[in-house]
Amino acid sequence: MLLDILNGGLLALKEYVALHVLTCLIPAFLLAGGIIAFTSRDTILKYLGAKAKNIISFPLAAISSIFIAVCSCTVIPVSAGIYRKGGAIAPAFILLWVAPASNLLAVIYTGNIIGYDMAVARIITAFVTAFVMGTVMYLSFRKEEAERMVEGEEGGNNDKKIIAGKDIILLLLILFSLLSPNYLITKGPYLHKVYVFAISISITFLYAYFVIKKDRISNWLKETWWFVKLIFPLLLMGVFIVGVIGKILPQQWIEHWLGGNSLLSSFLATLIGAVSYFATMTEAPFVDTLMKLGMGKGPALALLLSGPGMSLPNMLAIIKVFGPKKASVYIVTMISLATVSGWFWGNYIF
Amino acid sequence: MKIEILGTGCPKCRKLNELAEEAINELGVSAEIIKVTDINKIIDYGVMVTPALVIDGDVKVAGKIPEKKEIMVWIEEKK
Repeated sequence: MLLDILNGGLLALKEYVALHVLTCLIPAFLLAGGIIAFTSRDTILKYLGAKAKNIISFPLAAISSIFIAVCSCTVIPVSAGIYRKGGAIAPAFILLWVAPASNLLAVIYTGNIIGYDMAVARIITAFVTAFVMGTVMYLSFRKEEAERMVEGEEGGNNDKKIIAGKDIILLLLILFSLLSPNYLITKGPYLHKVYVFAISISITFLYAYFVIKKDRISNWLKETWWFVKLIFPLLLMGVFIVGVIGKILPQQWIEHWLGGNSLLSSFLATLIGAVSYFATMTEAPFVDTLMKLGMGKGPALALLLSGPGMSLPNMLAIIKVFGPKKASVYIVTMISLATVSGWFWGNYIF
Repeated sequence: MKIEILGTGCPKCRKLNELAEEAINELGVSAEIIKVTDINKIIDYGVMVTPALVIDGDVKVAGKIPEKKEIMVWIEEKK
């Protein structure tokens, strides 16, 4: 019995390493490193702070989310920073919600493992619900905010560019190496993917070699290496645990509680995501396993949305930084949004 | 001299801490290294992207790990 369970874990690990490391993880880490090395997050944040008082801040916060927190662990200090430095409450909480839910790495990874429809659903939902989240936070704390904003400082001193044109091209090339093997080659042997990947990644590195300065390349590779060291062990461990869980959990149980697209199963999936800790990207193999065991598509989306951004330790950190009142409004809103989104997509779109 | 490492306990903050210790030892200066992990305090320094290095109240770098040489130069400047 125990051997069987361990075997499940190892099998998951083997399948995973064979199919994902080269064509999916390596370019994903290179992209994450590139975003950190080539974009000036300080500039984005300053810009966001300056514009935080008008309606533009909603989409601005949602879009910047993609670039600011490549790893969900960094999003709390960033959003707390925007808030405390005089930014409005809505963009701060939009960032807190959208950055992990539509995190670029995790979304692409979701597409590769579960399917592109789920990845698209994840992005669209994160952006649409961002506006709901911003509005709820704004309306709930309007009065308090009006008093606080008086002392808020203006922070619109933009001396640096967010990203240089040459660097954008490099990021796009990496993105292409990440997407092309998995989306151009959907059938046939895995080796075909490797060929496509080899070509696109060679173009990327040739471009970098001839166009980008040496010290910036080394900075990029250093940041990439950090992601590998940080996320890869967690990911392997996560995949192993997921394989074990898949062996332990009875299929009927999952079909009963998480199957179909009812509001209840969506809610339960959201709760699982909200309390447990998923290191960036591990939510995708977890959801994939549950789906194979009978979880519905709607609940799967709900878990993907609530999983990465929220966990018990994260909740405590949010309570500490924003205070219990704002934190509870945020948490309740987030759980409702994820539940309703899962139910809606499950019943009307998927 | 007071050297503060701002960060919520991420691996990069630990790395920065190591580098700062090495820099102090190599220069042989007496300095106290303090880890600041409270997010509210970090933000009071105007830092949003961790890790950050603060020497005697001045934010020297935020959002990335500097080279050890750079840290040594900053320490020399403050001496």
